[in-house]
Amino acid sequence: MEPTIEVAGLRKRFGSAVALDGMSFTVQPGQVTGFVGPNGAGKSTTMRVILGLDAPDEGRALVCGRRYASLPQPMRYLGSMLDAGALQPSRSARNHLRWLACSQGLPASRVTEVIQQAGLQDVARRKAGGFSLGMRQRLGIAGAMLGDPEILMLDEPFNGLDPEGIVWMRGFLRSLARHGRAVLVSSHLMSELEDTADHLVVVGRGKVVADTSVAALLAAAAGGRVTLRTAAVPEAVTVLDLAGTTITPSGPDTLTISGLPAERVVTLLSENAVPFSEVSAQRVTLEQAYLELTRDVVEFRAEPAQEVAQ
Amino acid sequence: MTPASIVHGRPAASRQAGGSQGGGFRYVVRAEWIKFRSVRGWVIGMIVAALLTLLLGVFLAGNANIGCGATLSGRACLPKIPIGADGEAVTDTFYFVRQPLAGNGSLTVRVTSLATRISAGGQAGPVGQGPRNPLANMYKGTVPWAKAGIIITASTRQGSAYAAIMVTGSHGVRMQYDYVHDAAGLAGEISSAAPRWLRLTRNGDVISGYDSADGKHWDLVGTATLAGLPGTVQAGPFATSPIYNELQPFFGGEHIQGGPSQATAVMDDITRHGHWLASKWTGDNIGGHGNSPGTGVGYFRQSRGAVTVSGSGNIAPLVPGPGSFYPTATIERPLSVIFIGLIAVVVVAAMFVTAEYRRGLIRVTFAATPNRGRVLAAKAVVVASAAFVAGLVASVITVPIGISRARNQGQFVLPVPLLTEVRVLLGTAALVAVAAILAVAVGAILRRSAAAVTTVIVLIVLPFLLSVAVLPTAAADWVLRLTPAAGLAIEQSIPNYPQVGSVAGPAGGAYPLTPWAGFGVLCLYAVVALALAAVLLRRRDA
Amino acid sequence: MTQALPGERPGPTRQAGDRPVPEPAGRRALPHPALTVSRDALRAEWLKLRTVSSSAWLLAGVVALTLGVGAAVMAANRCPAGTTCQVDTVKLSLTGIQAGQVVVAVLAVLAVTSEYSTGMIRTTLTAMPRRGMLLAAKSLLIAVLVLAAAVVAVGASMLAGWLILPDHGFTAARGFTGLSLADGPVLRATTGSVLYLGLIALLSLGIGTLVRDSAVAIGTALGLLYLFPVVEAFVSNPVWQRRLERYSPMAGLNIQATTGLKGLAIGPWAGLGVLAIWTAVALLAGGLVMALRDA
Repeated sequence: MEPTIEVAGLRKRFGSAVALDGMSFTVQPGQVTGFVGPNGAGKSTTMRVILGLDAPDEGRALVCGRRYASLPQPMRYLGSMLDAGALQPSRSARNHLRWLACSQGLPASRVTEVIQQAGLQDVARRKAGGFSLGMRQRLGIAGAMLGDPEILMLDEPFNGLDPEGIVWMRGFLRSLARHGRAVLVSSHLMSELEDTADHLVVVGRGKVVADTSVAALLAAAAGGRVTLRTAAVPEAVTVLDLAGTTITPSGPDTLTISGLPAERVVTLLSENAVPFSEVSAQRVTLEQAYLELTRDVVEFRAEPAQEVAQ
Repeated sequence: MTPASIVHGRPAASRQAGGSQGGGFRYVVRAEWIKFRSVRGWVIGMIVAALLTLLLGVFLAGNANIGCGATLSGRACLPKIPIGADGEAVTDTFYFVRQPLAGNGSLTVRVTSLATRISAGGQAGPVGQGPRNPLANMYKGTVPWAKAGIIITASTRQGSAYAAIMVTGSHGVRMQYDYVHDAAGLAGEISSAAPRWLRLTRNGDVISGYDSADGKHWDLVGTATLAGLPGTVQAGPFATSPIYNELQPFFGGEHIQGGPSQATAVMDDITRHGHWLASKWTGDNIGGHGNSPGTGVGYFRQSRGAVTVSGSGNIAPLVPGPGSFYPTATIERPLSVIFIGLIAVVVVAAMFVTAEYRRGLIRVTFAATPNRGRVLAAKAVVVASAAFVAGLVASVITVPIGISRARNQGQFVLPVPLLTEVRVLLGTAALVAVAAILAVAVGAILRRSAAAVTTVIVLIVLPFLLSVAVLPTAAADWVLRLTPAAGLAIEQSIPNYPQVGSVAGPAGGAYPLTPWAGFGVLCLYAVVALALAAVLLRRRDA
Repeated sequence: MTQALPGERPGPTRQAGDRPVPEPAGRRALPHPALTVSRDALRAEWLKLRTVSSSAWLLAGVVALTLGVGAAVMAANRCPAGTTCQVDTVKLSLTGIQAGQVVVAVLAVLAVTSEYSTGMIRTTLTAMPRRGMLLAAKSLLIAVLVLAAAVVAVGASMLAGWLILPDHGFTAARGFTGLSLADGPVLRATTGSVLYLGLIALLSLGIGTLVRDSAVAIGTALGLLYLFPVVEAFVSNPVWQRRLERYSPMAGLNIQATTGLKGLAIGPWAGLGVLAIWTAVALLAGGLVMALRDA
């Protein structure tokens, strides 16, 4: 059995709202798969369906080739953290992990181990209800790691983490992937996944918008745009127009040129003696690429900020 | 900023408005009302409360039939039940040895014995099921409210105005008039060794009753003013004895044993003053027809100046319960299932507070209205209003349907004054509302829905259930005085008459406290809980 | 937390554990037999229950309320010399069950609804995705705990009856049932009362699973329990009175009767059977909803 998650053709509605609209993707071992999309795109619902918490109207979700609910001691296959707050507040962190371990037939020593790993040893006997969001995230991760699963599925694990925690989380996810595990991490902020994910499943309105490696996505989104800064804008436009490029002014003395690599732009301008202060190939961030992809599928878009009239 | 500033768009001015007592609270109430009505489950809960009460109440009214059965003509088997001076239904059945008395005058007798016999074990059979020979198989026994003495009545018609002084089975000498009034005279049982002298004097509309242990020293027991008493009245010795009920401690429900009883008294030393129009006594079995609450048998004998009079029945207000003989119903009977509605209301009311704690909404609420007492008050007002409406809808619909269904099934619905009926209807709604306030307060104290709901249900329902089913009367009475269940007394339409010796108990609609006192107990609980909640809300972190 | 990343340490498979070490999924052979998993689920649920202090308090409450109310009612009942009292002393001793069952209902309801109210049910179902099995484990555990508490509560109540009742005129010499467990009907009443509380627990658990909200579930459970006796108290039509007594969940309390069995609307064991049917229906409905509804 390959440690994979296969999601095929999931559809689900809540009343009149379509939550999942043919969601399909596969999570492969040995890499961190980022599961990104705007709020309400269906990420959490998909994860709930994978765990058998919600039943899809159509389609199926398989973990290691089987339905999650049919796995004996499923947390040994797939560790998950959907909602760090999903615990009874009056129980101590340690006891929370103990019953989880029991339910998977795991020895108590595993509880001690994951408490150590998550750095919870000082607070393990305190009631989990009093934990900060960051602490709860750690407890959630500890719970997910209990069964030493080959697959990890985390919903918004960066939420509520301090900068140090974010750095730690990235390293943690990378190391999991390095050891051959399949990791699915959801986020609504692409920047969080920038240096973490190898593969991206971008979703919007309940279906997959892009299922691609990070490198490919970046390459596609950059589109070879060049920024030109010059004091002689009209001359530059004349020269470049003749070379058949698309020119958009992007400032009083800057132009964005596409259709020509930066070296050719420099050569052309030099040949025609047009002065310029800067020519640079634009680098697209993952964030921009992502925004580009999801522009059409954002469900809850904020109105452009307006000044409130007094 | 209070909501006022948003509404008026004038922050500076409205800040003052918001600070003033009335306006600010109104906005808090409105905010809480919006919170309440925007949770569909809570609104449904209130509707469920009203519906459950209504449906079960109507069911109860239609199935409360014990006697006559649903006959084609409806209440065919019910005789005409006499109505007393104040419009209340009465029992007026006794054996009357009478002479007409014109104008003022007086009558004095000495009662030397009062013997009562009880029917052997038979249930106080409804009409048509009584023993064939009523006096056969009766045995000697004490009937506490067996009555024998002298009476002055306006006429021999049932339900007439009267005043009487009498000896009783175990309540000593009593002066009673117009069915509901009762005053105590000399105590102690009578015998030939300890006879009682009784005297009634008429002076216009005023009748005075005296008793004496020796025939020389007289004490005034009471005076009755019977407005509109005719010039000529009927006066003389009488005897009657009510349906005998014995409440036996029987587990799994009260066990009432009883049946008709018969009182026989011997009176001598009969002295008449005034203008008595006849020379001979006439015996009349007042109301002693086939469908009478008694044996239907009565007689009198005269020998050597002594009169022996024997009768069965009662001269008293008609109360619900086994002693009434007729299948009676009270107007509030179908409302007794308000318990079930109450549970639904309590659940909603408690959740209205505790749900905020569970979801952390309470912090938003207190950020919007830092005066926590005001939030609590607003919540109480909103839930109580909704509960009141639900309760009122239930009671206003249930009671008339219940009355008509009960009548159709051959029951006699005990009449009550209009004001009492209004009190029952509004009181039921108020009962539900106050229970809701109690639930809000307990919810704020305990902050957990499970604990709050359980506490309030147990406080109100369990005491009632224990009182009805398992506790002996004395203990049950205390439970219904001290627990919030006392509030159910607000539904009682027929007052408790100690002189009737009803064994109805709470299930029969008789509570130990008067309606308002009982309701007051419940209110007290609500107020104390609310005060405690207010203090705790201020002291505790949200 | 930074020093040892989980991915970098040797996995448990490579450790010499004291218990069967978890195998990573990819190398798993066959699934464990269902029985083993069931034991794990039971142990997990047991741990859950005993690591929340309210469970212990509620169980203690069952005993305290049963005994307290029972003793109070016994103290209030007297049979003075020379009077006849048709009192079933065993039933009188066990009156407290009527109060104790409230706590049982709360305990059982909370065992389910507290998971829904905190969202923990999602964690639980992630760990134990077989919902039928989860409900079975919960039911079994709650039933066993409640039965244990009920044994103590019933035993204490009988002891209290043995101490109190003879002084109140309920002596064996006057024909009242002695409180000896060697007596068949007494044994039936006591064991039946214990079973009654167990069934009430399962009934409430079913309702909790069905409704999911603590307040609504407790209201429903207590309403269901009290509805019948309250209506019965007011209904004077003997036919309906009998029906209500026969088919109410609290008909199960008829198991407490040791005298006057002929007067009962339904026999002791049959009454308990009625409650068992209510319980089965509630559990089944709860299980069905749990299986079909999204968590």
